[in-house]
Amino acid sequence: MLKLIVCIKQVPMVSELPWDSRTGTLKREMAEGMMNPACKHALEAALRIKREYGGHITAMTMGPPMAAEVLYEALTLGADRGVLLTDKQMAGADTMITSFTIARAIEKECPEFDLVICGSQTADSETAQVGPQLAEELNIPCAAYIESLECKDKCLRMTRLSDDFLETLEMDLPGLVTITTRQFRPRYATLSGLEEAFQFSGITTLNAADLGLSPEQIGMKASPTRILDVFSSTAEKKNHVMTGAVKKILEEVFEKFGDKIGSAMEKDLKTHEHSD
Amino acid sequence: MDFNPCMKHKLVRKTVREFVETELGPIAHEIDQDARFPWEVVEKMRSLNYFGLQIPREYGGAGLDSISYAIIIEEISRVSAAMGLCITVHNSVGAYPIVLFGTEEQKKQFLPSLAGGEQIGAFCLTEANAGSDAGGVETNAIQDGREYVINGTKIFVTNGGVCGCALIFAVTDPQNPKKAASVFIVEKKTPGFSVGEIEDLCGMRANQVSSLFFEDCRVSENNLLGRRGDGLKVGLAALDTGRIGIAAQALGIAQAAFEASLKYAKERQQFRRPIASFQTIQNYLAEMSTEIDAARLLLYKACAYKDAGKKFGPEAAKAKLFCSTMASKITGLAVRIHGGYGYSKEYDVERYFRDAKVTEIYEGTSEVQRMVIARHLLTTPT
Repeated sequence: MLKLIVCIKQVPMVSELPWDSRTGTLKREMAEGMMNPACKHALEAALRIKREYGGHITAMTMGPPMAAEVLYEALTLGADRGVLLTDKQMAGADTMITSFTIARAIEKECPEFDLVICGSQTADSETAQVGPQLAEELNIPCAAYIESLECKDKCLRMTRLSDDFLETLEMDLPGLVTITTRQFRPRYATLSGLEEAFQFSGITTLNAADLGLSPEQIGMKASPTRILDVFSSTAEKKNHVMTGAVKKILEEVFEKFGDKIGSAMEKDLKTHEHSD
Repeated sequence: MDFNPCMKHKLVRKTVREFVETELGPIAHEIDQDARFPWEVVEKMRSLNYFGLQIPREYGGAGLDSISYAIIIEEISRVSAAMGLCITVHNSVGAYPIVLFGTEEQKKQFLPSLAGGEQIGAFCLTEANAGSDAGGVETNAIQDGREYVINGTKIFVTNGGVCGCALIFAVTDPQNPKKAASVFIVEKKTPGFSVGEIEDLCGMRANQVSSLFFEDCRVSENNLLGRRGDGLKVGLAALDTGRIGIAAQALGIAQAAFEASLKYAKERQQFRRPIASFQTIQNYLAEMSTEIDAARLLLYKACAYKDAGKKFGPEAAKAKLFCSTMASKITGLAVRIHGGYGYSKEYDVERYFRDAKVTEIYEGTSEVQRMVIARHLLTTPT
C-alpha cells in the first residue's frame, strides 16, 4: 500500500481580482474559492494509483480557514484524510517559504510517505515552483509535468511530453511528481461521498506552533520574494470594416486572414484554389 | 441567525453546478426542442447518487439534508428545469414516501434500485376527474385474497414514460370517505401496467409526462404503502416534501432567467448605450434580484423546519406558492428585457418562461397552496 500526499491549493474562482497595491498580493478574500485545476488533476492521479495499487491519500493545503473547503472536496472525491495548515503568520509566504512550511508539516504528519503529488502550477500565480522546491526541502527526487504513472516495487515509471517528445522516466520512491491538466481528467464528486466527507471525516488543523515554527521562519516576513507589480493582461480586439462588392470583400478576407482561417480549419487553403 | 451558507452547502452547489453545466448545459436547449429524455446524462447521474438524494445511506442513498436537496434541485433546474423535475419528483414523491411509510421489507425491496436510479420513480394522483380534489379519484384497488387488483387511468404523470416504479393513489374503501384511498407501490413490469402517449406540453418538454393505464393490474398486499385507508395521509406527506422540490425548481428557473437578463442588459445597446443604463431596466433587475432572494430564504426556512423535525407543511406551501409565482413573474420580465429575442426560440429565456408556468400548477396549484396555508392559520390556536 502506497502512502500518498496530495498538495492542494485553493485559488480564486474568477480570473480578475482586485489586488493590494501596497503588498502586490491578490485580495483572495474577495472571491469564491475553488480547487486549483492542476491540483484536482493531481488528486485524480492519486485516486487512480490508490485504485490500482492500494493506498492511503492525505490531502494537504495551506491557507486561510476557508481553504478547508478544498480538503472537504478532496475527501468527497476519495482522499482519506485532510490536513489544513492555517495561521495568520503563514500569510503572504512566497513559493520558497510555502514549500518550507509544507515540508515541515509532511515531516510531522506523514514522515513515512512514498509519493507526494502536486499540481504543476496554480491558476492564480502560475509559478510552477512549489512542487520542485518541496522536493528539495524534503530531499527527494522530483519529476515535473507528468502525464502517466505506473508503479512497480516502489519504483515509478512515468511519461511526460517535452518539446514534442514523449519522455519515459523512472524514479525510486519516495519522490515527488507534478501533474498537468492534460491528463488525469478529474472525476465528478458523488453526492454520497460529499455527505460522508462532512459526516465522518476529520480534518487536522495545524498552526505554526504545532509545526514548531517561529514567526521569523514563515509567512511574508521570511519570504525573500517581493512582488514588484501585478497587472491584468488585456486581450485586444480590432474591428476590420470591409466595404464594396462581395467578390472584392472575399478576396480581401482571404488575403488578410487566409492563413488564420486555414489554420483554424487545419487546411492549406491555397491548395483549394481553382484555376479559373 | 447565520445567513451565510455553510461549507457543506457551498460545496454541494459547486459540485452540482460543475456537473450540470458540463453535462446538461450543452444539450438543455436541444432536449427541450426535441422533447427528448437525456438517458446519456441520467446514466452519469445514477452513479453520482442523484437518484438517492434523501434515501438513507443503508439503502444506497446519499442521505442528504433538505437544504442540500433544495440546492441540488435549484442548480439542476437552473440549467434544465425538465431534468430538475425528473430528479425532484423521483426523490420527493417517488421514493421519499417509502422512506417515511414503508415497512423494513418494502424499504429493502424498493429503495436500493430507486437510489441507484435503475428504477425511476413516479407519483400518480391526478386523473381526468381528480386533481386539486383528491377525493375525486376513480382508480380503484379491490382486494382479492392476498392481492389487490388495480383498475383506472392516471394522467399527467411526471416521469410517466420513463418510470420503473410508481406510487398509485387508488380507492380501496369507497364507503368510508375519510379512509377511502390507499397508496400502492407498483412496478412497471407488473402485468396490466401500461404507458400512454407522451404529452405534448408547453414546458418541461424533456420530461416524459404521460398517462398510465392499469387494467386488472395485480399487486401483492405487501405493496400497500402505509395502512389501508391511509392514502390521504401518505399523499399529503408526499406532497409536503414534493413542494420543497418544486419551489427549488421554480427558484432555479428564475435564477437562470435573472442571470441571462443581467448579462443581456449589459450587452444590448439601444440609443447608443447598454439598456442596463436605463432606469426602467435597472428597476426590473433590482426587483428580480430582491424577489429571488426572498424566495430563497422562504424555501430554506421550510427546509430547515423539515431538517429540525418540525411540522413544515405550511412553510413548504408558502415556499411553493411564493417561488412559483415569483418564477412566472421573473421569467416574464426576462422576456421583456430581451425584447423580440426573448420571444425567439434562439434564446433560453423563452424556455424559462414556458417552464416556469407549470410550477404554479403541479404538486398543488397556487390556489391549493393558499388553501393549505389558510387552513393552518385558521386551525392553529393563537
